[in-house]
Amino acid sequence: MTLRESIIDGLADVRAHKLRTFLQTLGVILGVGSLVAVQGLVDSGRRQATKFFDEFGGLTKILVVNRPSKEIVVTARQLASNGLTWSDALAIRQEVPNAVLVDPIATEELNIRYGDYERRHDVTGATPDYASVYKFYPARGRFLIPDDMESQARVCVLGDTAARRYFGNEDPIGKILTIDEAGFKVVGVMKRKEFYFGEGDHNALEWMNEQTFVPLTSLYARFTGDEFKRVQYINVIVDKVENNPKAAAAIRAVVQRRHAGIVDFEVVNRAERLRQRAEQNQVFNAVFLVSGIISLLVGGIVIMNIMLASFRERIREVGVRKAMGARGIDIAIQFLVESILVTVIGGAVGLGLGVVFAQIISNLIGQPAVITVQMAIIGVAASVTVGLFFGLYPAIKASRLNPVEALRYE
Amino acid sequence: MPVVPAVPDADPVQPIIRLEDVHKIYGSGEDEVRALRGISLSLDPGAYVAIMGPSGSGKSTLMHILGCLDVPTEGEYILAGTPISQMSPRALARERNKRVGFVFQSFNLLPRSNLARNVELPLLYAGVGRAERRERAHSALHKVGLAERAKALPSQLSGGQRQRVAIARALVNDPSIVLADEPTGNLDSKTGQEILALFAELHGQGHTVILVTHDPQVASRAGEVIRIVDGKVSNGGQP
Repeated sequence: MTLRESIIDGLADVRAHKLRTFLQTLGVILGVGSLVAVQGLVDSGRRQATKFFDEFGGLTKILVVNRPSKEIVVTARQLASNGLTWSDALAIRQEVPNAVLVDPIATEELNIRYGDYERRHDVTGATPDYASVYKFYPARGRFLIPDDMESQARVCVLGDTAARRYFGNEDPIGKILTIDEAGFKVVGVMKRKEFYFGEGDHNALEWMNEQTFVPLTSLYARFTGDEFKRVQYINVIVDKVENNPKAAAAIRAVVQRRHAGIVDFEVVNRAERLRQRAEQNQVFNAVFLVSGIISLLVGGIVIMNIMLASFRERIREVGVRKAMGARGIDIAIQFLVESILVTVIGGAVGLGLGVVFAQIISNLIGQPAVITVQMAIIGVAASVTVGLFFGLYPAIKASRLNPVEALRYE
Repeated sequence: MPVVPAVPDADPVQPIIRLEDVHKIYGSGEDEVRALRGISLSLDPGAYVAIMGPSGSGKSTLMHILGCLDVPTEGEYILAGTPISQMSPRALARERNKRVGFVFQSFNLLPRSNLARNVELPLLYAGVGRAERRERAHSALHKVGLAERAKALPSQLSGGQRQRVAIARALVNDPSIVLADEPTGNLDSKTGQEILALFAELHGQGHTVILVTHDPQVASRAGEVIRIVDGKVSNGGQP
């Protein structure tokens, strides 16, 4: 008897026992459903995080930030350290070969005035590298250039929202913005940056559109008068993701040496962060995977139970088939095909249910779900495995029935 | 036990069935049951035979052996020139499929399959292709007058019709013997007569038909009656 014919007979049997089939498939439906839903959400979460990071530096970015000691008793040497400075950034650029871009940043809250508008805002002292680090480019005019740095120029570049805020509908280019009583010429307006997680309407990158940039040197010279040229943080872009750990170690060594051995800073390796987060996620993934597998197992046990419970009513059928010339293997294949049919039906329904689950959850938490072909294949493969495994015992039992006794069975 | 080889030249008419001193013993020790105690018989092709006997006489056991559902404990069974006694379950399944058409008292049709599918069953296990299966199932159903109901389910049929379908199924593989176990036992007498008439017709067409029954009226329709008592042939194969 061919597989095709076994499937035809199996389908007839499945159709004839709709309630039984439904009960059999329930466990598999829920198992595959939860696996698919969870996997879809987790996958999309990972993708979104990577995409979000790509918007400002990607995975090759290493961040060096001030991290003052939390110890209560602070040594004199620690007190003497100025924290991160512009010269630290210059040292990194010179001494770390994998560092492609080095972008020190300092911010200061200053009074901004144009026409009737007057308010205090954070002003960012940046270097020309900033644009490349954040993949943030001017829509009109230009960004800061090396000349601006050298001449401590009184020029500024505005984010899209900042430009609207200060100038309303006027064209800001060439206008003079008054920052703490000093006139700064607007030389550029940046393109808008936008990133939305899921269906949410919160622009996760709006802070970039609100920026007001001046040359870092101008910030020191005109406003803070900081002789140490301290910075809040230094962005470093590394040539290749693979070189991140090497570069991070080199940066740590350079800065620590310059800080007289004091670790009052932290080197944050973004690729490392993402990897750690993926590792944490793996724990959750494993929990969901295990719960999915348990429901599949329970589903399989239910299938085997129901197959064994309905075994009696099929003994005679097995006897008849054997009398007609069915070999043990024919009977075993027929039973296996039926249990696999049941689980595959369950798996397919579960897949649909998983997609619906994922959609509902993604609407609730505002994060899109990604259902991949690979997951569909895994779901169906898992169902087949369950059907095969738990159908095996009833199938072997049926195949071994003695035809004489099976025919006599009432 | 000497095995008599099937040599076509030695005998102008090769018997379709030959049993030589067949014993069947179930269980062992104190539980031992000797169902058959040395049965020898020979049937020519085209015979129409009734096997009669009270319950417990061993006639069911004999039928199981004749139908290749079981093998003798001792003795030799040769069906259409093929020795059966030493066969594995797998080989027995093949012999049943090729050489035996079963008709049961309770019809034993598959309830969820239509008539055509039921009749096709032996062909499925013989590995016959779809088109040929269809054609042969149709012609077998035609023989029993149910060709136009091929798509019906067994539950939509009367008892007599169901037995006709079972007979069609028994014939579809063109078997050496048709083995009917109390084929009229579940039918009223008029329908039973129709079924017996059908068997007579098959006999007329040259089929070898073996009826197993306890009903003398049914047995009287056969050309030959073999009486089984206490696991032995009591009339020596004569009517």
